[in-house]
Amino acid sequence: MAIIEFSDVTMTYGRGRKRAAALRGVSLAVDEGAFAVLMGPSGAGKSTLLKLVLAMERPDQGTIRVAGRDIHRLRRASIPYLRRNVGAVFQDFKLLQDATPMENVALALHVLGMPRREVRQRAAWALHQVELDPTMARPARCLSGGEQQRVAIARALAGEPAILLADEPTGNLDPRLSREILDLLAGIRDRGTTVLVATHDPLVLDHVSLTQTIHLEHGRLVTLSAHPEFEDDDDIPAILPAAWPEPAGAVA
Amino acid sequence: MRWLRPFYSLTYVVTRGVRGMAQAPAVQLLAVGTMAVCMLLLGLVMLVWSNAQGMVRAWGLDVPVTVYLVDGVEPGQVDAVAQRLGSLPEIATIEHVTAEQAMQRLSDGLGADGSMLDGLDPEVLPQSLEIGLAPGTDPDFGHVLAERLSELPVVDEVAVVGAWAGRAHDLLETVERLALGAGMLVGLACMAIVWSTIRLGVYARRAEIQILRLVGGTARFVHGPFVFEGMVQGALGASLALGLLWLGFDAVHPFLERGLSMVFAAGALHFFEPVELGVGVAFGAGLGLVGSRAAVAHYAEV
Repeated sequence: MAIIEFSDVTMTYGRGRKRAAALRGVSLAVDEGAFAVLMGPSGAGKSTLLKLVLAMERPDQGTIRVAGRDIHRLRRASIPYLRRNVGAVFQDFKLLQDATPMENVALALHVLGMPRREVRQRAAWALHQVELDPTMARPARCLSGGEQQRVAIARALAGEPAILLADEPTGNLDPRLSREILDLLAGIRDRGTTVLVATHDPLVLDHVSLTQTIHLEHGRLVTLSAHPEFEDDDDIPAILPAAWPEPAGAVA
Repeated sequence: MRWLRPFYSLTYVVTRGVRGMAQAPAVQLLAVGTMAVCMLLLGLVMLVWSNAQGMVRAWGLDVPVTVYLVDGVEPGQVDAVAQRLGSLPEIATIEHVTAEQAMQRLSDGLGADGSMLDGLDPEVLPQSLEIGLAPGTDPDFGHVLAERLSELPVVDEVAVVGAWAGRAHDLLETVERLALGAGMLVGLACMAIVWSTIRLGVYARRAEIQILRLVGGTARFVHGPFVFEGMVQGALGASLALGLLWLGFDAVHPFLERGLSMVFAAGALHFFEPVELGVGVAFGAGLGLVGSRAAVAHYAEV
């Protein structure tokens, strides 16, 4: 069953003469529990596609469904609840540079309205998953690129999202660190989270057992390949998104 | 426990708001200080207005016509007169003051010397009807009314305050308008101050806001700390202004009362009541709330 579906999606940036198409009539589906990779050169529309899944952009045309819901018909107030089900990791890590790894991960859990003790426990668990010491007192700016990306993955993982999006997660890392990060992402997929990685790093294709490859060029879908030989759905309990939106009146 | 989540979120919002303020103490001090100056101006105008109102009441200017009734008048007769007067469109208020109430007022007016009246039968004072006129009523109406009322057998005497009372009312209305205008100006100024401070805060914490958006922070969660900050600034600015105003009032009012004893009866000047102080602080917090909400809605879209 598809957890992410794009149907004839077109997305443009700018207006008038400066109008540039980022996606042109893209239709694709990412299966529940998949490890899918979105390949293509810079400017192919990979990041735009991920932003659309996070409802950070709106398509000009077409529909995008996440877990069966047309996300661009969601009320504005419901979008945060969608994002709680979709973890995201970026090339530039997007961490609070003066905060410790624990504080960075805890931020995502405070949003969920958890008590402090539970926040600490869950954040420590997430940091353990990425093989980082939860008691590390150094701020993010003092960590290596690989460590910062691990913190970002731990933050995305902490809320146990149904989908994990990663935009060039190895872009700033050397090959050894890149492999470590890809192993982490593969491990997350093995626990049932659907992983969608946008990259132009060929290492991803060689290193990870992919279930789907999506190739974009100039905003168009070139190929959409499934790799059923790597699917092992019987062993992987797929994580389904929690319901959204939350009932009206919730502060969190 | 799911139902406790809003409480935990609120706790986070408040602690983050406090931490945010502590991150830029100089900006906070500047904002609170500037707001305090603005609120001080408003407080001063309000205090003048409040005291002017008190003086008008003390001098009886708010009751242009007082009808003194003959001794031994029956309650039914008083009601009949009040009912007839109440049917006139020029009359806004009618208050029946019994002999006991008149004695109490006299005692209150004498202050510490009120004990001189101990043992005196209240019936030595006449009952009266205090009549307030509707706004815009012809000043001569009081005299016409007094003439008519004098003819009634239950009426002993009618007192009408002079035309200067009208002028005093006009003056009071001017001060009232001034207070209203000052309130609006100060309100706008305070909101602008909060707006600027919150905008600085939003810029300083834009990375955090971006991350909060990414991990599913709702508008209330993301904006909450800034709104809290704005409310605290407003409340602190108002409190500081009221504190300074009280210090100034405490220092000046004995001199005013001594120097202008003909104008101010002893103790006639007063500072704000505790409830009014509370309203002032809440007003400051409200301005902070509006200013900060507007700023975050503009600069920290979720």
